[in-house]
Amino acid sequence: MSTLGPSFIELSNLRVGFDGIEVLHDITLTIAKGEAVGFVGESGCGKSVTWLAALGLLPGKAQVTGSVRLDGEELRGASHRLLERVRGGRIAIIFQDPSSSLNPVLRVGRQITEAVRLHRSLTVHDAKAEAVRLMDMVGIPDARRRFDLYPHEFSGGQCQRLMIAMALAGQPDYLIADEPTTALDATIQAQILDLLNELRAETGMATIFISHDLGAVAQVCDRVCVMYAGRIVEEGRTADLFDHPRHPYTRGLFDAIPRLNAPRRRLLPIPGMVPSAKDMPSGCAFSPRCPNAVAACLEAPPQLGGLTAGRRLACYQPMPSLSGLGLTETAKLPRYATP
Amino acid sequence: MVRFMLGRLLRAFITIIAVVTFAFVVLRMSGDPSQVMLGPDAPQDAVDAFRHRWGLDQPLWVQYFAYVRSILTGDFGVSMRDHASALGLVLQRVPATLQLTLPAMALKLFLGIPAGVYAALNRDSTTDRAVILLSVLGFTIPSFVMGLLLVLIFSVMLGVLPSGGQDTWVHGILPTLTLAIGGIGILARFSRSAMIEVLTQHYVRTASAKGMSWRNVVWRHALPNAALPIVTLVGFMVGSLIAGAVVVESIFSWPGIGRLLIVSVSNRDLAVVQCILLVIAATMVVSNLLVDLAYGWLDPRLAARRH
Amino acid sequence: MTVLLEARDLARVYQILRGLFVEPTMLRAVDGVSLTVEAGETLGIVGESGCGKSTLGRMLLGIDPADEGAVRFDGDAMPGLGSKDWRQSRRKMQLVYQDPLAALDRRLPIAEQIGEPLDIHGLADGADRAARIWSLMDAVGLDAEQADRYPHQLSGGQRQRVVIARALASEPKLIVCDEPVSALDVSIQAQVVNLLRDLQQDTGIAMVFISHDLKVVRNIADRVAVMYLGRIVEEASSDDVFRDPRHPYTQALVSSVPEPGKPLAHRTILQGEPPNPGNRPSGCAFHPRCPLVREICRTTAPSLTSIAHGRQVACHVAGACLHAA
Repeated sequence: MSTLGPSFIELSNLRVGFDGIEVLHDITLTIAKGEAVGFVGESGCGKSVTWLAALGLLPGKAQVTGSVRLDGEELRGASHRLLERVRGGRIAIIFQDPSSSLNPVLRVGRQITEAVRLHRSLTVHDAKAEAVRLMDMVGIPDARRRFDLYPHEFSGGQCQRLMIAMALAGQPDYLIADEPTTALDATIQAQILDLLNELRAETGMATIFISHDLGAVAQVCDRVCVMYAGRIVEEGRTADLFDHPRHPYTRGLFDAIPRLNAPRRRLLPIPGMVPSAKDMPSGCAFSPRCPNAVAACLEAPPQLGGLTAGRRLACYQPMPSLSGLGLTETAKLPRYATP
Repeated sequence: MVRFMLGRLLRAFITIIAVVTFAFVVLRMSGDPSQVMLGPDAPQDAVDAFRHRWGLDQPLWVQYFAYVRSILTGDFGVSMRDHASALGLVLQRVPATLQLTLPAMALKLFLGIPAGVYAALNRDSTTDRAVILLSVLGFTIPSFVMGLLLVLIFSVMLGVLPSGGQDTWVHGILPTLTLAIGGIGILARFSRSAMIEVLTQHYVRTASAKGMSWRNVVWRHALPNAALPIVTLVGFMVGSLIAGAVVVESIFSWPGIGRLLIVSVSNRDLAVVQCILLVIAATMVVSNLLVDLAYGWLDPRLAARRH
Repeated sequence: MTVLLEARDLARVYQILRGLFVEPTMLRAVDGVSLTVEAGETLGIVGESGCGKSTLGRMLLGIDPADEGAVRFDGDAMPGLGSKDWRQSRRKMQLVYQDPLAALDRRLPIAEQIGEPLDIHGLADGADRAARIWSLMDAVGLDAEQADRYPHQLSGGQRQRVVIARALASEPKLIVCDEPVSALDVSIQAQVVNLLRDLQQDTGIAMVFISHDLKVVRNIADRVAVMYLGRIVEEASSDDVFRDPRHPYTQALVSSVPEPGKPLAHRTILQGEPPNPGNRPSGCAFHPRCPLVREICRTTAPSLTSIAHGRQVACHVAGACLHAA
């Protein structure tokens, strides 16, 4: 890991359980400063839980094991003081439902000013000026006048902009965006994605983008992790992964999405449904739905192993490597990971 | 805002009129004061004179309008018993009642709310379970049982506190406690669930996520929201400051409004009973108005809906 | 093709009370919508939240009364809400909406719920009824062994199948689906979309498919109407609308759908806020957000006019361009 830049988040063997049932299994990955990494998967796959666990924001009954390091410093089980400095100051997070994520009885300006003052030693006056600047920066028209309004006086899209302003207040190195556009209308979604891209270009802040929307992820991220039933099943550079999905689940997800520009045809759904955490198959969690499954898949879950540069995969029977291009398979494919 | 308050005042006025009318009709249907005042063996001409003296021989609606007219001019009538001003009699008793209900109210607020909030913050802990158990006991045991229980323990068995009378402040301890215990239980239970509800809200997670200490999250973000439902309940309790001690005053022979009410009802002292009911209705209505005002101040979403 | 349902100048007006002494504001949730649905076809209705698409869907079924205009179904005028004729007409038209858990009774086994329309309309009993329920469950891909399950024991996708089976029980001629797959995960969404598609092919049922998800609508609808603030701004075949959108709003909407591999920079990003039906802009309701806005747009609302065979657009500018071309 010494080849990484000066700042990075490192998750290793991160596991989360609720009431003795493990819902997140063995997540290991590294995110460098300035990167934009997407986490995609369907509901319950663990994409949000991973990052709430990393910031210690899960409810007290969650059992979290493994390690979460920021620049080498352990965050799991760290002191409140350290966690409070990291949250918002180094790693900020915005959520799916912006309207309910802002406190309804406090003025928005105050909520943003509060975040500024938590992480920067500014006077009240300067912190207010900074809050107005941030509101301006995220595209709230007439920020100075609307500083003293309450959240219900803003639309959903504007509330998400306010959440982003609040996240920027501590000048973090990482922004976790947890389904930031899911609750918004199509035209407003596009505005928010655009804003996230712009801010990343301006501030160099790394983006961790959690979404079920593959299209949105592709527009924001350099790198994508696909998650299924509490594990990362495939990871790669965005273009690479989208052109050549290797995991049958990734491939299935792509095929299941209807396209705007393709001919109208029957869709290709993934048969069956996601197993519940209480009732996980013994082997690969995807095996009951997988077209490629063989006997080995039912024995033990495949490990996430390196494939080529920047590419990881957890599958015994991956899709042929050139399938995305529609080219013929040139060589017999090796198995990538050991059971 | 002005229009809103005008609307509320109108509603308050209608409430009071309704109470006055209801009390008037029910009291007159439920027995003849002359029977009670003069005794069952009184001669017919004395009864007739009494009924004429108090206008009871008039048709009901004539009596009613006369009564309403006199209220509107500030005349609440006189007691049939000693001809003292009814309002004077009532007001004279108010301090005694407040001597019990105000300290009881303070106990409810300063014990009930913190206990509930603390239990919510330490959910499923031993303290939380204890708070739930005690609060359920507190509000399920009726005050006449609770009062007798306290007398039994502190006056009869331990002999440390007096069981009745109003001589010193020590005499007020047991009635105050009896009044407070139920309210503490209700407030604790209510504050606990209000706080638990608020703690699951997304904005609480947001406040934590921006690096705020848990203590500040609770004080600055959770409590102001949890206060909204609690205020409603507290307002209701404030409304019963005058009327809430009827039973307890009887148990502890405390000369407050409650005692006056019971005595006046059994004597069919119409003007006094009506005056008490009016005062009670007025405090309820005023406390409701205060709750509305507090709500508008605490919850900006309501204020917006009004405009 | 025969016209199954015809709506003329439908409007739904809500009064917003602003207090005792203030004139109530009129909110036109649906404002002069005319459309037809032919037997066996699928009409998609798309638009953002608050555009009136759900209200329109309920009006087409006569569940929400029309304040102006009228609906004709199968040649007859829609009977009054709640009347005997109206109740009988329910047999021929059904609604499927977004949240299947709310649509189902949690205390009844699913087979009973699927059979309910058969009882209500007296369509089958005894062995016949059981056989019908079984064949409906089979048609929507539910196992016979699931018949005695309760809604909470099923997954979201399975619940939606139950709702669809129940809607089909009375062999309706039309179903209106309001965001039927929006709450489902992508892989399950595709299963349900395919199911609807197959059912339509097998039974020849007509469908109105209301959704904010353009990709799904593109896939399932023959014809698409785009709504903005209670009005249809564009209507055309599904192929035409998505390949060559004419109204600037449709263009922005189509462009806002993220496609993997299509960079954000090349998309039309519409500025401004989503519309508020309580505060409708003058003239063309879209003009404050429109990149092509002209003077006339601020004052005069464009009407839906035919620009080519089977294509209609309500836009001063898009219409003019075409006439010039």
